[in-house]
Amino acid sequence: MAVETPAAATAAPRRTPRGPLRGPRFGRNGSETLAAWLFLLPSLAGFLIFTAGPVVAAGVISLLDWNLFSPPHFTGLDNFARLGPDTTFWSALGNTAYFTFVSVPLTLLVSLGLALLLNQGLRRMAVFRSLLLLPYATITVAVAFVWVWLYIPHDGLINAVLGVFGIDGPAWLISDDWAMPALILMSVWKSFGFGMVIFLAGLQAIPQQLYEAARVDGASPWRTFRAVTLPLLSPSVFFTVVTSIIGSFQVFDQALVMTDGGPGSSTTTLVMYIYRTGFQNYEQGYAAAQSMVLFAFIVVITAAQFLLQRRLVHYDI
Amino acid sequence: MSSSFSRRALLKGATLGGLATTGALSGCSSGPPPSTATWSMWSSSPEENRVWADFGHYVERRMHIRSSSTLTPSDGYPTKLDLQLVSGTAGMVTALNGWLIPTYASRGAHRPLDALIAADPDFDLDDFYPAIRSISSFAGHTYAIGFDVAPTVLYYNRTLLERNGVDPPSPTEPMSWDTFRELAVELSKPTDQYGFTCAPTIDDLVSWIYCAGGDVLDGDRDTSPLDAPEALEAIHYVVELFVKDRVTPPIDNLVAQNASGTALANFLQGNVAFMQNGPWQVLNVRKAPFTWDIVPFPAGPAGSTPRVSGSSFAIPSGVKDDDLDLAWRLLKTLTSTGALNIYARAGRNNPARLSAASAFEPPPANLGIVQRILKGEVAGGHPFNVTTNWNRVRLLLGQELPRAFLGQVSVRDAIDGVMPRLNALMRQHRDAVRQAT
Repeated sequence: MAVETPAAATAAPRRTPRGPLRGPRFGRNGSETLAAWLFLLPSLAGFLIFTAGPVVAAGVISLLDWNLFSPPHFTGLDNFARLGPDTTFWSALGNTAYFTFVSVPLTLLVSLGLALLLNQGLRRMAVFRSLLLLPYATITVAVAFVWVWLYIPHDGLINAVLGVFGIDGPAWLISDDWAMPALILMSVWKSFGFGMVIFLAGLQAIPQQLYEAARVDGASPWRTFRAVTLPLLSPSVFFTVVTSIIGSFQVFDQALVMTDGGPGSSTTTLVMYIYRTGFQNYEQGYAAAQSMVLFAFIVVITAAQFLLQRRLVHYDI
Repeated sequence: MSSSFSRRALLKGATLGGLATTGALSGCSSGPPPSTATWSMWSSSPEENRVWADFGHYVERRMHIRSSSTLTPSDGYPTKLDLQLVSGTAGMVTALNGWLIPTYASRGAHRPLDALIAADPDFDLDDFYPAIRSISSFAGHTYAIGFDVAPTVLYYNRTLLERNGVDPPSPTEPMSWDTFRELAVELSKPTDQYGFTCAPTIDDLVSWIYCAGGDVLDGDRDTSPLDAPEALEAIHYVVELFVKDRVTPPIDNLVAQNASGTALANFLQGNVAFMQNGPWQVLNVRKAPFTWDIVPFPAGPAGSTPRVSGSSFAIPSGVKDDDLDLAWRLLKTLTSTGALNIYARAGRNNPARLSAASAFEPPPANLGIVQRILKGEVAGGHPFNVTTNWNRVRLLLGQELPRAFLGQVSVRDAIDGVMPRLNALMRQHRDAVRQAT
């Protein structure tokens, strides 16, 4: 019968523990560190090559005058100085901001409303969820082509439906006033599925006992929504707002397919203008400078959201 | 122990897999083997793909080397070509639409061919129509060799005209603008029948401007003459067909109206009497379920002198040494009478060589008018003169002119609105020409 000596007892904790406490091995042979790096490598390489690399490259190119073929010339901050008097750039930025600050709240409202509906314990919820997710899963260009048909002023489905109610529908995509709202409407329809799924997941993670407690306390549905649902859903809202704003600032394909930036430049978005500057006007340096400004806008807005997150987002109750 | 083994095995497997993938990818990106005749072309349909495949077979038979073509849909062709040229992956020979030749030549993306032509006694530049030689030149140098060239003509729906008791127009005498307008109005009916269709873009408008004696660019000045009375008269005439006479199918969206295929789609529906377009659409119009033909473009104050367009093959500047010799032989083969006979027999367009012209056969019955116009025997043509930044000119006018075609602003206001920016582009063009010469 073996009797455990004090020495053995004190030595036991020094043995490499099983389970999560395996820290000492990292320092000894580094094999797990190596494994971690190897597993991270594909993502890290992808980030460095396809995200960080182009950002750095764009920063360098923004200091050059380069038409792709002639040797580039260093011009310092000249490309950034050109942005000031470029009315088309500011108009494109304004259009992009208009698109973002109208489409994102609308998309969030529609997404949240549908998520709340689906969270009522509907039968065949999976079917509804899949159907409502279909627009998001469909290729934007294909959707845009369909909406071009829907928006045809004379024979389009939307104006035909409006006509049933005695409303003379606008000339949607060829009207200065209606082209951007038409793009926003299509974009909301296309995007709400993403937010809906995120919100639905968030709603289903809220503990039911909190609702039961609210019911016992006699809280109204609106009060329950404000005091329980919304605070606990705030991480999902935060994630959706951040990703939607970043995506909206990069809007390009639907505007290109549906309006080509017109009438005039009323729907020319910033990314469309950058593309045209770089690949149609062959001014790579100036396009890169515009890209850097867009990048800065997105960074500032996202940073502001993260600052607000501390006050508005609740990860527990 | 087993955990450790499986992790090690997994790492080993991942490493081997990564190496294998890298090897496979590097194998994929190695490109065609040396001494392959590589060339780039736009192609947007199976019919076009077949024509270029036949070109490839022709190259292999004639040159006894492997042919490798890169085909790209026409919309994305310039962007892809740019990226290929910059990355050094472009073919030895690349197809260029005529309006892009000054753009590429002024940026030094393609090489002048004068020295190669002068050193090759077998190559006869005089066998090419003068119009395509003009289109393929920049700053007095030949930058490309043409494979097609044609004037804009007027297609008409004979069935629709007969149904309305209207005699077909003369196959040789161009209508006056007044006659054309009267006919277009007469053939338009409120119940979805239209007298005329064209793309209300500068590329189509320019034919009317030339016929009025105007132009978009003037080589002697720093300003565009688009606001001159001749050009304004032409634009006003066409805009009135849309807005006042309403003889054209309505504009439903701005993207489709800028697309060259919209006028064709309108015409093929069978309820449009006249379509402005080039013989490059003959292949598609042959599918029409009605009888049709072509006549010269309507004559304006300066006569019937619509735009003459064409496309060519060029050699990128990066092609050097032994590859240059191969590229020149390839370019000669792709633009030879034999190759252009294949092109013309397929009905793609009027070939650029006089010696291949007979291969472009009817229908339409009056197809010969194309060659007669090019030879100056009847009506006329005006080479499609463009700037080194024509992309930007198209974009600017494509954004601002539709307001006039929609009746939202007057022609005068639309033109006055674009002139400062258009003149800035003209100055940029002149600077580019100056630097290139």
